[in-house]
Amino acid sequence: MKGNAMVDLREHERKALSALKKLGGKASLEQIVNESGLSDSAVMRAAVTLRERKLLRIVEDKQTLATLNVEGRSYARKELPERRMIDALRKLSGEALLGRVVEKAGLEGQFVPIALGWIQRKKWATLDSKTKTLRISEKIAEGSDERLLKLLADKGHAVVEDLGSELQEAVQILKGRKLLNVEEKTRRIIEITDAGLTATKKGARVTAEVTQLTPELIISGKWRKVKLQKYNVAAQVANTWPGKKHPYLQFLDEVREKLVALGFKEMTGTAVETAFFNFDALYTPQGHPAREPSGVYYVKSPKYGSVNAYKQILENVKKTHENGWKTGSSGWRYKYSTKEASRLILRSHTTCLSARTLLSRDLEIPGMYFSIGPCYRPEVLDKTHLTEFNQVEGIVVDKDLTLRDLLGVLEKFAIDIAGADRAKFVPDYFPFTEPSVELRAYKTGFGWIEFGGSGIFRPEVTLPLGIDVPVLAWGLGIDRLFMLKAGIDDIRQLFTLDLDWLRRQEVT
Amino acid sequence: MPTIDIDYAEFEKLLGFELHRDMGKVNEVLEFVKGEVKLWDEKAGVMSVEIKDTSRPDVWNIEGLARTLRGFMGLETGLREYKVGKPIVEIHVDPRLENIRPYIGCSVIKDVRLSDPIIRGFMHMQDKLDQSYGRNRQRTSIGLYDFDLIKSPLTYGVAKPTEMSFVPLGFEEKMNLKQILQKHPKGIEYGHVVNKHPVYPILLDAERKVLSFPPVINSNDLGKITDQARNVLVEVTGTMNETVLNTVKIVTLSLIDRGGKAFAAKVHYPKEKAPVVTPNFEVGSMDLDVEYVNKVSGLRFTANQIAELLPKAGYRAEKVDGDRVRVYVPCYRVDVMHPVDLVEDVTIAYGYNNIKPLWRRLPTTGGMRPEQALLDVARELMVGLGFQEVLTYTLTNPENLFAKMNVKRGKVVELANPKVQTLTCLRNWLLPSLMEVLSNNLSVEYPQRIFELGKVTLLDDKKETMTRDEDWLAAVVSHANASFSEIKSDLDAFFMNLGLKWQIKEAKHPSFIEGRTGTAIVEGTNVGILGEINPQVLTRWKLENPAAAFELNMQKIAKTKHKPIA
Repeated sequence: MKGNAMVDLREHERKALSALKKLGGKASLEQIVNESGLSDSAVMRAAVTLRERKLLRIVEDKQTLATLNVEGRSYARKELPERRMIDALRKLSGEALLGRVVEKAGLEGQFVPIALGWIQRKKWATLDSKTKTLRISEKIAEGSDERLLKLLADKGHAVVEDLGSELQEAVQILKGRKLLNVEEKTRRIIEITDAGLTATKKGARVTAEVTQLTPELIISGKWRKVKLQKYNVAAQVANTWPGKKHPYLQFLDEVREKLVALGFKEMTGTAVETAFFNFDALYTPQGHPAREPSGVYYVKSPKYGSVNAYKQILENVKKTHENGWKTGSSGWRYKYSTKEASRLILRSHTTCLSARTLLSRDLEIPGMYFSIGPCYRPEVLDKTHLTEFNQVEGIVVDKDLTLRDLLGVLEKFAIDIAGADRAKFVPDYFPFTEPSVELRAYKTGFGWIEFGGSGIFRPEVTLPLGIDVPVLAWGLGIDRLFMLKAGIDDIRQLFTLDLDWLRRQEVT
Repeated sequence: MPTIDIDYAEFEKLLGFELHRDMGKVNEVLEFVKGEVKLWDEKAGVMSVEIKDTSRPDVWNIEGLARTLRGFMGLETGLREYKVGKPIVEIHVDPRLENIRPYIGCSVIKDVRLSDPIIRGFMHMQDKLDQSYGRNRQRTSIGLYDFDLIKSPLTYGVAKPTEMSFVPLGFEEKMNLKQILQKHPKGIEYGHVVNKHPVYPILLDAERKVLSFPPVINSNDLGKITDQARNVLVEVTGTMNETVLNTVKIVTLSLIDRGGKAFAAKVHYPKEKAPVVTPNFEVGSMDLDVEYVNKVSGLRFTANQIAELLPKAGYRAEKVDGDRVRVYVPCYRVDVMHPVDLVEDVTIAYGYNNIKPLWRRLPTTGGMRPEQALLDVARELMVGLGFQEVLTYTLTNPENLFAKMNVKRGKVVELANPKVQTLTCLRNWLLPSLMEVLSNNLSVEYPQRIFELGKVTLLDDKKETMTRDEDWLAAVVSHANASFSEIKSDLDAFFMNLGLKWQIKEAKHPSFIEGRTGTAIVEGTNVGILGEINPQVLTRWKLENPAAAFELNMQKIAKTKHKPIA
């Protein structure tokens, strides 16, 4: 369309441009808003597109804005203290004792030294220091500071650059008296260009423009005649927060899948457990510190569950604790309480599920089992401790399993589950395993991680449950692994209530 | 797990080996005793070592630790011989102690050279043994005395609370036993061990001078050890004879390792004719089958190899024949109960990292629990419906479960010994957890759509544990226009995609607005609830936006589905 002098303008652009012209071709954003009746954002949008089309330009300049602060406003209401003092002195016929002047002026104590100071500085009066008498001077003019105070009180603010030199000095004085706030602001001035002027003179062709394409426009075919408004495609739009899985639960899902792929079967149980399965069946004596109220949560009511289904097993366990029974052990050598065995607690580990599995009619030999579930211990919550946490634990049951097999399982976990480069083994301790092994996994970028505790169930555990083959027991420190992967250094973050954090987690 | 404070300079001295304050090296060495440096105060020259092994009180002190490590490091292998001289002190035990604290064991160690760090070490050991092995002095408690101030025979007797007075350790005036329990910090701390009895234990010497009020406090005159003391009396009282004897043994050995010479004590119990002599340093013995070692370890050790490895762990071992090794167990190894304990020491001495791991894929079929497939599908669906999954504790408090939900207080599993003020019971429904999430995110952008699939615990007296756990699913939407129809539309989509037939019937529930509440019925079973949250509930959670929610029992839904989702 070369040579076509007509300019296509949208409605709001035309309005903005003619408002600018009316304002003398140069105005601030606010002025155009007032003149045109458009909204702030419409004027801004128009200004941006018109600038791109070189019909106007936007000049930024810095300006200093002065406003009264709280104290300044109170001074403006009552006048400056020195003015109040001099007015009172005048009423006392120009000469009076300081005390009387203060009284007459009704001046608050803290203002007396300020008023005196300024009166003398402005040479409005003299003070005879011996007689404490004030004597008024001949000429007392209204100071520029007072004028500025009035101006600011009336208008609310003043642009320092627009003030005369006297008032500019007054700004400095009142600023020094801490009555003003002075701040720099950037002001946008919009100026019409020659091209813009020409465009308004020639008359712009205004196109009917449409923001939203509607079904009505499509069906009626009107869409052919209207112009669809151009959008700023880089503009900020509303956020969308998709549905997502919890990152830690998703990690547990992956661990579960890997264990299943390795041939492990899932075991489940309840949060509330009898002390029998959580401790006794795992050869943890009834006086063990882990059974103190500082080591395990006890249920308030009901206090006791039932172990009636395990009469024979309970008898075996009791004897094993007391004297080793047929296990070849000396036992813990104390008097075992059957009542204590039925005490209800919140499980402090999921090893109780392994004990239940070993007793189950469905136990398969060879068998590999795992569980993932919450465990509870009376800990105060901090960066490294939770009172409720998830454990991944399990067992491998088969004849002829040895410590070498245990290390093999652990190494497999380190590589398949932790994605480690190599594993090493350190002596560990659990009341129910011997030998006991701690697994450490080395992963590039992470270093050595304590990745698990394990061992071979003691004969004092397996034989009373009627199991005469070796049982390898293991537990994995998956929380540490997840924290390293997610870059978290506070374990409490796993159970975070912070929705924004969850929304911003990357999907992996 | 006990954590013990170790003076580094003393540690190197006892070890007879320089580790040059290299924590990596110290930790490597400590692995032999399942220990790890947790804190290292360089200024004080003290390291805090955590010992995982709760059954080896003999390594919960600097002397025992060094003794065991010297073996594994090859500095001193085999059995360390300990001797005790003939009894030089006698104790008579009062029959009235039988149901209070019946057992006592003593020893005397002469010519000990004490210094401040050594005394600090002993005090620390006493503390650790009292706490962990002695179960906070319930089971055993230790007293150390300047033997030169004491005249044998001693009487371990009883006294009424106001009958006897003495100056307790750290105080200047006399107090009777009752006053000690009321005023002395140790009395306040440990009074509960004895105060249920009409009379309290008391230990006196031949001149009826008070040694101590076990297990509470020693006398300030006799029971204070300074670096001036040359001869020390060790005394342990308790409720379990074996623990008492083991404790006397362990404390005495530490003093011997510091250059002292031990002498025994004779304890006369009321019902026993023959006196009991303490401490007993008798060495135990056990025959270890080579085959058993190899069966457990998966290695091929010979009797000779086993006999060479065990001395590193402080045992004396002699090959009996090709199949058997006779093992002499040092008296302080109170943890050795079964030959398997020796096998572990063989493998630790051999080095876990010298054993080649063996991975054998057993012919098993892996599998998740049966409900898992449905639960996974349910979570996928919720995510597809635009809900963010959250994870909250199953522990909560009745205030959240009932009062804040406008529900009458019901029965749930409450803890007898809660540790965190806000976590005192197990939840019996999920919605309160979601409300808590909402109320923690008032300034986070709305709409908020969240869900959780998790465990709830319900009381059930037909079960062994008097409870059953179920998987439930709850979802909530909250924003300025959240409504019943929005949540119903989500629930409808959920059911439809699970291939279920469902209907919604009007219902009442105090957490929801009346007339905007429904139950979800699947195949005739009530599986859950949905509705707009009662503004009363919103207010109690300090929420400013309307919310609508549903909660479903996934266990019931799993049962109504005829065919499991494969």
